[in-house]
Amino acid sequence: MKFKKLFNRIESIKLESVTKSYGDRFAVRDLDLEVRGGELMILIGRSGSGKTTTLRMINRLIEPDSGRVSINGANVEDFDPVRLRRSIGYVIQNIGLLPHLNVSGNIGLILKLEGWDQAKIRERVSELLNFVSLPPKSFMDRYPHQLSGGQQQRIGLARALAMDPPLLLMDEPFGALDPLLRTQLQDEFCKIKKELGKTIVFVTHDINEAFKLGDRVAIMDNASLVQVGTPEELIFEPSNELVSEIVDSKRKYRHMEALKVRDMMQSLDSGYFLEGNMPAEIALRKMVDAGLEVAFVFKESGTVGKIPLNEVLKAGNTGKSLNDISKSLLVFPADASLFEALTQLKEEGESMALVLGGEMPVGLLFSDRVLQGLV
Amino acid sequence: MWNGGCLSEIPIINDVLTEVQRVWDTQLLSLRTLEHLYMFTIALFVSILIGIAVGVLIYRSPKLADPVLNGLNVVETIPDVALLVLLLPIFGIGAGPTVAASILYSILPITRNTYTGLANVPREYVEIAEALGLNPGEVLMRVRFPLALPLIAGGIRIAVVFTMGVVTLGGLIAAGGLGAALQNGIQLYDMGTILVTGAWVGLLAVILDGGAGVIENRLKVRYGTWS
Repeated sequence: MKFKKLFNRIESIKLESVTKSYGDRFAVRDLDLEVRGGELMILIGRSGSGKTTTLRMINRLIEPDSGRVSINGANVEDFDPVRLRRSIGYVIQNIGLLPHLNVSGNIGLILKLEGWDQAKIRERVSELLNFVSLPPKSFMDRYPHQLSGGQQQRIGLARALAMDPPLLLMDEPFGALDPLLRTQLQDEFCKIKKELGKTIVFVTHDINEAFKLGDRVAIMDNASLVQVGTPEELIFEPSNELVSEIVDSKRKYRHMEALKVRDMMQSLDSGYFLEGNMPAEIALRKMVDAGLEVAFVFKESGTVGKIPLNEVLKAGNTGKSLNDISKSLLVFPADASLFEALTQLKEEGESMALVLGGEMPVGLLFSDRVLQGLV
Repeated sequence: MWNGGCLSEIPIINDVLTEVQRVWDTQLLSLRTLEHLYMFTIALFVSILIGIAVGVLIYRSPKLADPVLNGLNVVETIPDVALLVLLLPIFGIGAGPTVAASILYSILPITRNTYTGLANVPREYVEIAEALGLNPGEVLMRVRFPLALPLIAGGIRIAVVFTMGVVTLGGLIAAGGLGAALQNGIQLYDMGTILVTGAWVGLLAVILDGGAGVIENRLKVRYGTWS
């Protein structure tokens, strides 16, 4: 029997007075929330606030004790859970990949169960690997333990997209990655989010990630929804103390005038630097082997260029050198004012800049890391 | 250079080789070994089939788990000679009761390890499989079973040693095999036959156990969940 998707696009997801308790403890209490079609809705809160439980009630991994969860007006309880879940992509933190299957086995698992033939599965897996910026040839046959954390996360996303679901549920997908990698993946995800045109419900406990990725943010505490709104609404009209505490930018920015870039930068390893005349295909191998998502080159003009991994991939075997594909990059001296640096980053729509101590690069400045460091 | 000629010039080794040759010829050890491996293979094959099937069954119906495992434990506590004798009225003498006793003994380790392996697959792998939309049967076959394989192989390895022992004991009830040669040695009080056959049975057991160990380790590397 050939699989038919339960829905091709999402008009809305509604949770109405949904309650779930374990013993005498409420995991989610009387929650009302509507996710609009095409938006990225963030669920944020401390651990135990009920955000993951809420997410899992959408694809029936958890059944509510009372209340109603509906997609496009249809109660999810009326759907067969297996068909429902195959119509919804799911990405989790960390150990999402099955250790006994290689990359194409993991990505193609559901396709295989759906009776696709081998050639078609291979084609689809290649397509998805390209989409998440991993060269299919060198990754298809690897096993999860042969992959870096960032690569595993990309495979996890590719697997969630295998059936081209109109809805994605993501549970702290970048939670276990180091800051540089997380920023890079968030940037990329921001871009492909538009390309995907999918409705996404995304759980995180990182307010900076929430503001960076979310169209709207739902703040949860103690099993209840506290406030839901766009980042601006939450900042300017917080409904209570907790919300203003979580998002209050005044407090975060309070000391910023006095701080220098050097106080908030992340130090930089020389391994991130490659030769400018290196052909892209060699650089690709080096970056993939070292698990780098981004590298830098010194240009002849004396400036520094940024080389994102996906640009290297695009260049492929065209014979282009890194100099040809490097992107310009904001550069600040280590003793520049942090506030001005952040303002400039925001104006340019960039999330990262290089920090120079004299002539030498000494660190990286991530806008979202700075906010977190100041809280 | 090492070769047979060199070795046979050392008197004691020459004696041993002559004795081995004598026992091998008079006791038809080639034929006995074939008989032995034949019973061993059938018994092990059937134990694996039944053991895994019962393991899966009690995993799917947990209410049965305790009674079945307790029952198999009781079988396990019957001394093997007694079990052979108990089976005589049902199967007569010879290979039948020997193979049956081997199977009864070997089911427990395979069933127990299958059950434990299936039940103890890390929760997160099962959860992600369910979240992706695998139905319960698919979770069992595509996730739980492969991840339980190293443990199941461990159970089979124990069964290999059990089966080897019981099949050898079958010599007592005219089952043939290397046990028959050992019995002859004991009846005739022929120390050479006892020693040579005993050593050969021991060596076979070590080789088979070693082979099973290699397979078990390969499965651990391939399907282990620690990575």
